[in-house]
Amino acid sequence: MFQPKQMSKLLIVASKQQLEPVITELYRMNIFHIDDYVEKGDDQWEGFRIGMPLKGADTTSSSLVKIRSIASAFGIGSDQLDESAKARVQELKRSIEQDLPALADEVEHLLSQRSKLEASVKEHEQKIEALKSFTDAPFPMELLNGYDSVGCIAGTVKSHPEISVPHEIWEKQLKSGLFITIAARNEDLPAVEKALLEVQLQKVTIPGENGHAPAIIADYEQKIAGIHQDIEQISVKMAEIREKHQYFLMSSEELLTADVEQAEAPLRFATTDLAFAVVGWVPTEQVTKVYENLDRVCAGKVYTTELEIEDLNDGPPVEYNNPRFSHPAELFIDLYSRPKYTEVDPTLLMAIVYPIMFGLILGDVAYGLVLLAMSFGLRSLVKGSDAGSQLLDILRNCSVASIIFGVIFSEFLGFSLPWAPLWFSRHISIGVAAGAEHHASAIPQLLVVSIWIGILHITLARIWGAQNASRMDHGHHRSLKIYANIGWILVMWGIIVLIWSKFPIILMPDLTQMPELAGGLNVATIAGAVMLVLGLVLIARENALDLMEIPTIISNVLSYTRLIAVGLSSVAIAMVTNFISIGMFINPALENLTPVGIILIIVGILIFFIGHVGNTVLGIMGGGIHPLRLHYVEFFTKFYRGGGKKYNPFGMIRRLTEQN
Amino acid sequence: MAAEAVAVEVAAAAASAAGLKAVGAGLAVGLAGVGSGLGEMGIGAAAMGAVAENKDMFGLALLFTVLPETIVIFGLVVALLLMFQ
Repeated sequence: MFQPKQMSKLLIVASKQQLEPVITELYRMNIFHIDDYVEKGDDQWEGFRIGMPLKGADTTSSSLVKIRSIASAFGIGSDQLDESAKARVQELKRSIEQDLPALADEVEHLLSQRSKLEASVKEHEQKIEALKSFTDAPFPMELLNGYDSVGCIAGTVKSHPEISVPHEIWEKQLKSGLFITIAARNEDLPAVEKALLEVQLQKVTIPGENGHAPAIIADYEQKIAGIHQDIEQISVKMAEIREKHQYFLMSSEELLTADVEQAEAPLRFATTDLAFAVVGWVPTEQVTKVYENLDRVCAGKVYTTELEIEDLNDGPPVEYNNPRFSHPAELFIDLYSRPKYTEVDPTLLMAIVYPIMFGLILGDVAYGLVLLAMSFGLRSLVKGSDAGSQLLDILRNCSVASIIFGVIFSEFLGFSLPWAPLWFSRHISIGVAAGAEHHASAIPQLLVVSIWIGILHITLARIWGAQNASRMDHGHHRSLKIYANIGWILVMWGIIVLIWSKFPIILMPDLTQMPELAGGLNVATIAGAVMLVLGLVLIARENALDLMEIPTIISNVLSYTRLIAVGLSSVAIAMVTNFISIGMFINPALENLTPVGIILIIVGILIFFIGHVGNTVLGIMGGGIHPLRLHYVEFFTKFYRGGGKKYNPFGMIRRLTEQN
Repeated sequence: MAAEAVAVEVAAAAASAAGLKAVGAGLAVGLAGVGSGLGEMGIGAAAMGAVAENKDMFGLALLFTVLPETIVIFGLVVALLLMFQ
């Protein structure tokens, strides 16, 4: 809790004969995070080189490429398949050898046939497009081509051309300008073209066809329909193949991916001619498992030992070690940065505080129910995506918190529930809710509550900042940093005590009545001032430039008032929507029911829906982003460093194939 | 007569005070919003670019983009205090 999983650094050394069994076993266990071997002329690793891939890696890779190309042509993804039936590895390997080449040829053949047919459809369509201009022509198309002494020009022009040489012309009115076809003797053609250029001729090529244009077009259209039928047949065949082979394709993709990863593993190992060595990380609780399993598969011919960890901060990969409940919040931490191995992991706290903040902002039973329904309804959309289901889990937790706060605030779509708010009320006097005296809002109190949340949150952040400094820094710098964090806490609380000693504030201790000491200053004022000065000194000892950041203490704490402010704006939008739709449209129309009144009621209902849907969307955005920002900006910047390596064990979780 | 006139004047003064409060609240939210928007304009554009280059930047980009929006929250808080206290 608040700490990543403990890791141990293992060194595995064996002779080259044990290379394959060791790789297979490590891959099967799926817990060994390999530290890639890099040749950097280190004395310790003198004589070691990066290894060569195992035999057969290239043929496996080429089969894998084939399978992936077929799968992408079919658009199959492994997450669409049922995972209950697992393919047997031996059978799968046999069918990859026997069936895959034929299947690949067939699919390739069908694909090329289809693209040929599609190309010919395009060609025919282009021809039809060219012929369309001639559909009204009184002459068959063959009359425009094949003369020795006469030439034809066709195209669109802006207006009727003035041509001085003998010619024959057919023209057709278009929306903008004319479509013309002109025939003239070859020696007159230059003069004709010149005249046409003056009316901005845009030439079209005259299609070399026989017969009248409409008949030719009909003929082509028939051909296109025929080709479409052929394409349809191919698609049906492809769908049949897909249906029949998709399971085989995806399971063999999984098998071959595993094979290729194993075959290429030696590229991450250090090898000599006869032996190999690999360094990696395993969760400490599973070290003995690695020892035992490797001993078993190599019949004792392997040397495994635990190495000392030199650099705790940057060495070990980081795997979260949190209760299941906080798993979704890991998404937010990863979005920011994975914690370093030695630092405090705030996931659990965020998993608890984030939904509470969301609930404080959105606190409305109806919106909460809508979001809860969404978090279950959208599950099928994110099937197979870990981040997606984490996000929906967060949404679920947040919507439950919203419902709880909705009950506390007595809010339902901006209306009040049959009871008075159990805590401070957020009801504002807008429209229909106006005059409900027992619901009088307690906004100053709520703002103070949010400031309290801020003070505690930031104090905790500084405490963790000191803890991180004590774990991660060394020497003189370490103690300075710890004291600086204490200094920040002292300055913040000093300012708070000073304010308390001067102004009485609701829901906060009133220190104005403390016994007075010299010069009209009471005990609390002096205590606050001492804390402030002491804090400033501690901060300045670490880095005097940090004193510039002192005003952020106030702005950071006040920033937490957004929890109430954003929430109130969503309450206000809900109430205004209710007021406009019910108070201004529906109620007046109901009092005196007329045909116009019915339309007004429908408009009122529409406004009601649109307003509340919009407010729900705003609520998700506001309720989601603001707490996230409070964590990232106000909370994390005080202690969190991040930049840890992700624990990425060598192996895979098999979904479609059996473990061999 | 005089008493009535005074009463009308007092009521008018109260109404204008309430009106000015509302204007002040509007200005607080509106101007703070414009300010935040201006601030986020440049950051947002740059953040988009950074995320397009490297998806891992998303968390940091979001952080930078939302930094100036505290200002509008302060505006909103001031408006709420003006209107409802």
